[in-house]
Amino acid sequence: MNPHFFLLGGSLSQERLAWIEECLKFYFVRLKPEDLLHHTKSHEGVFTFLLTGDALYSLHEPDKARTWEIILALPSVQIICDRQELALRGISVEGLKMKHPDQVLDHNRLGVGGQASFWNDVAKIARQHEQPVPSTIGYLQLDSPYMHRSSLSAVKCLTAALEVHASVEFYAYLDGVHCGHHGQNPTEFDNIGSSLEEICEKAAKRGLSCQMIACSRCAAARGYNTWDDGQGQIVSTCTIKPYRIRNLNEMIDRFAKNHIILGENVASIQMKKDGQTSSFPLEEPGRSPPVTVLITTTPYGTERAFGGVSFAIACAAQGIPTQVIFIEDGVYALAGSHTQETDARLFNLQEVIDAVAGSRNFELFAFQPSLHQRALTKNPKMNAVLDIDMAELGQLLFYPPRGLQSGHRRLIIF
Amino acid sequence: MTGKHTNIPDFSDLTCTNLMIRLKMLLKKTPPGVPVACYVRRDQRDTIEVPFSRSGYEVTVQKADTHRFRVSLTKKVPEMDL
Repeated sequence: MNPHFFLLGGSLSQERLAWIEECLKFYFVRLKPEDLLHHTKSHEGVFTFLLTGDALYSLHEPDKARTWEIILALPSVQIICDRQELALRGISVEGLKMKHPDQVLDHNRLGVGGQASFWNDVAKIARQHEQPVPSTIGYLQLDSPYMHRSSLSAVKCLTAALEVHASVEFYAYLDGVHCGHHGQNPTEFDNIGSSLEEICEKAAKRGLSCQMIACSRCAAARGYNTWDDGQGQIVSTCTIKPYRIRNLNEMIDRFAKNHIILGENVASIQMKKDGQTSSFPLEEPGRSPPVTVLITTTPYGTERAFGGVSFAIACAAQGIPTQVIFIEDGVYALAGSHTQETDARLFNLQEVIDAVAGSRNFELFAFQPSLHQRALTKNPKMNAVLDIDMAELGQLLFYPPRGLQSGHRRLIIF
Repeated sequence: MTGKHTNIPDFSDLTCTNLMIRLKMLLKKTPPGVPVACYVRRDQRDTIEVPFSRSGYEVTVQKADTHRFRVSLTKKVPEMDL
């Protein structure tokens, strides 16, 4: 059976780790109680946590390490650590490995060139999923290069994807569009722009496809759009060659396909029953993987919360079953009454939520424990946003929408 | 935002998702049966026409000039069950 997996590269808070722990407990208690009773262990984890970047610190910090111990006590849970990133940070996972030798792995898979890389493990898992040959692996990039190491993860991930003979797709959203600016010349960092160009060249040499799509709204805001024909074609004189600046809908079209899409903080939840095989064509209605967008940041400090909601609205409009869950600091979007001057260009997020609630394929949820933890109450006008507790979060993640034929659910953390 | 008529907004500079958000916010404040009109580009027209007509709105589109269209959306008044 293919695993559910979480790919986590950003800082992992105790709050996030706690709801992940509770969701896993929900899964085993409600969906796989037999595994709990017999404590079956398989070599391949049912849940695989792929940890890189700052998420690795969670294995070292005492409170978080204790939560990992609880998670590892559940059946068939596996953690694969990015050994290079562990070494860079001077973090040791030996203690955890001694207790759970089969479950905590910090030796990464060898690539074709004989070099071990965490991203070879990631690509193997992403490539394992049911999809036609040749396979495709996508990467959603939300952050700018150099300020954020996630851009390097994107490059390594797509390079590893080519190694497992997968076509690659890079989706640049929000500040992620900066990854494709031409003429990058870092002295202390891998050149992200050149690396993306090299990925496209390698793909072409191997007969694989490579697409790099940047969101036109994000690109326009950042000064990339040199010429717009008014019909969706945008030309920029300041991007690398493979970049195509397109309407968000064109990017979302790719999310309607069934391939695995990775990112700095994402998960893929399997929705097919064991043993079930599928021969549906990719475009069949109901075949698009449902998307769950977690809004985890405050509403106005960065573009992330609005970007996440906007992304979710676009998914729903394209016919993808979409859930938005306000969780962690994301619940600030729902608290109090947000007001601004009538001629302000900035969207009032509460007005947006109120306006789009009830749209087809679109559901909104507020994670009550996050509200309680912050001593917040939801604005009563936000009644279209349904309150959910820990068990209901588990249901939302693991129960497929009725009539859905997709193999997995995409979970994207904004 | 300027339109041919000062009271009809020109949304042709908005991306499709933001246009949808903006229209939904306007429609939310407008009673059923009262139209909301705006000017949009050709590609925006395509984005509006199908989703809104599928979700309880009457959509009319008139060509304003080569690349611009005047779109009018009216929320249908729910029929009474007899």
